[in-house]
Amino acid sequence: MTARSLSGVGLGLRWEFLEEVLEADALPVAFFEVCPENYMRRGGYYPSALARIAERYPVVTHGLTMSLGSSDPLDPVYLAELRTETLRVGTPWHSDHLCLTTVGKQVLHELVPLKQSTANARRAAERVCVARDALGIPMLVENITWYAHPGRREIPEADFITEVLERADAGLLLDVNNVWVNAQNHGFDPREFIGSLPLSRVKQIHVAGHTRTASGLILDTHGAPVVDPVIELLEWTLALTGPVPVLLERDNAVPELGELLAEVALLAAAYERAQRKREAPLARSA
Amino acid sequence: MPAALERAMADLVFGPAFEPHDQAAVEAWLARAEVEADDRKAILDDGVERLLVYRALVRGTLRGALECAIPRTMARLGPVFDEYFDRFLRERGPESRYLRLVTREYLDFVEPSWKSDARVPSYMKDLAEHEAVQIEIASRSARPDEQESAELDLDRPVAFIEAARLMRYGHAVHLLPDDTLDRTPPEAGPTALFVYRNPEHEVRYLELSPLAADILERLLAGHALGAALRGASGRTEGPLDPDVLSGTTQLLFDLAERGALLGAAPSEGAR
Repeated sequence: MTARSLSGVGLGLRWEFLEEVLEADALPVAFFEVCPENYMRRGGYYPSALARIAERYPVVTHGLTMSLGSSDPLDPVYLAELRTETLRVGTPWHSDHLCLTTVGKQVLHELVPLKQSTANARRAAERVCVARDALGIPMLVENITWYAHPGRREIPEADFITEVLERADAGLLLDVNNVWVNAQNHGFDPREFIGSLPLSRVKQIHVAGHTRTASGLILDTHGAPVVDPVIELLEWTLALTGPVPVLLERDNAVPELGELLAEVALLAAAYERAQRKREAPLARSA
Repeated sequence: MPAALERAMADLVFGPAFEPHDQAAVEAWLARAEVEADDRKAILDDGVERLLVYRALVRGTLRGALECAIPRTMARLGPVFDEYFDRFLRERGPESRYLRLVTREYLDFVEPSWKSDARVPSYMKDLAEHEAVQIEIASRSARPDEQESAELDLDRPVAFIEAARLMRYGHAVHLLPDDTLDRTPPEAGPTALFVYRNPEHEVRYLELSPLAADILERLLAGHALGAALRGASGRTEGPLDPDVLSGTTQLLFDLAERGALLGAAPSEGAR
């Protein structure tokens, strides 16, 4: 599989429905995405099942613990093991988040935001380059949901992300739900934000559901269906980026596979509409 | 060394609790991490209520991972678990990027203190270890050569699959019900289980007699089969007891049938 050949709507692979995926003939899913940390340094059922799925479907890897924003050196053992895993599933790229997940020896097990500064962007870009060299495949960087900014914000978030991508010459995994959630929580226009990103660098898109707390804060829980405004934002974004692969994430309150496939079909319809919108002006000019 | 804001975020999620409106506590948190003046001012101006969301998220994730691994231990300990969980995060914190390994880190940290804590029943370590071994064996890596086998030989060690362990408890915790609401104490008494992953990737438990446990313990430690039999039966000279020999043959044959025993290991390094 090559990066260029991947398109359409994929689904985050969850252990809850691994067996169903293995038993089904051919599911209407363009690809599956896995968190490699769930399969690394382990034997048993799950890696064995993933190997069988990777024989039948394209698989991309999406990590959680590279800690691209950390000031500590990247862990070479982790990178070597991650490389083995990426080779094992044949992913065309690896992605991780623009955030902090480790501090010294401690692992936070959550995507903690970085101070949006040029210095942090430069350091993250250097780490993206180190990771790309170690893995031997392209690296994509994902924009995160953040509930509060730690410290004095020196540059706007879009500039922060752009600085990392341009300096590292990396791809963007644009999480449209994260943009929408941030826009609601911090009060900005999500389309304006997306429009200010280097969209030619978008190589994959994520969408997911979220949860509103009693205080009104929206949490990026991946525990509910994608809401209509996010699907509309996805469609609008795809009309700008072209047919990049889209992934439905569902990590909590995981429903039956059938329900997720129905959601994939909804997203696929939005995907098609966006492509028709892109083609319409071309057809007119022809 | 992590930057000040990184230290501050780690301290926020793992360190002492504080109320968002407790100005002195917020200032103390920022001072501990040596956060620079302009960042400190921005945090104080914004308030820390939303930053504290990360404390809840991190702790929820870690607690959830422990709940998957040792649910009955947690339920039986109740608030005592919470106290130790908080201490684990405050004094050590998770160091593995693999969530399933956080349980081992937690137990290694708390078990020495449980011994001297009257609130923790004496069987709790056994129960925690018994619950934790399930994920450990289910996920333990397989060696690439696990398909190879050679005939057993008294002068050679025995090769087991990687996903196999002998567990010794002072209580029959393996007989407790799975129900997290159950509070029945387990019977006291030495208990030995051979825990392994079968070829269908299921974790299986085999209760062992004291002699079988002694033999397997030696074999798992790399002793040659003959030396393990002699050591376990206390017979250092002369022919081996025929009953021990036949019982062991039966046990090893059974383990091979179950896919847990591969055959003779290379004699190099045999003890």
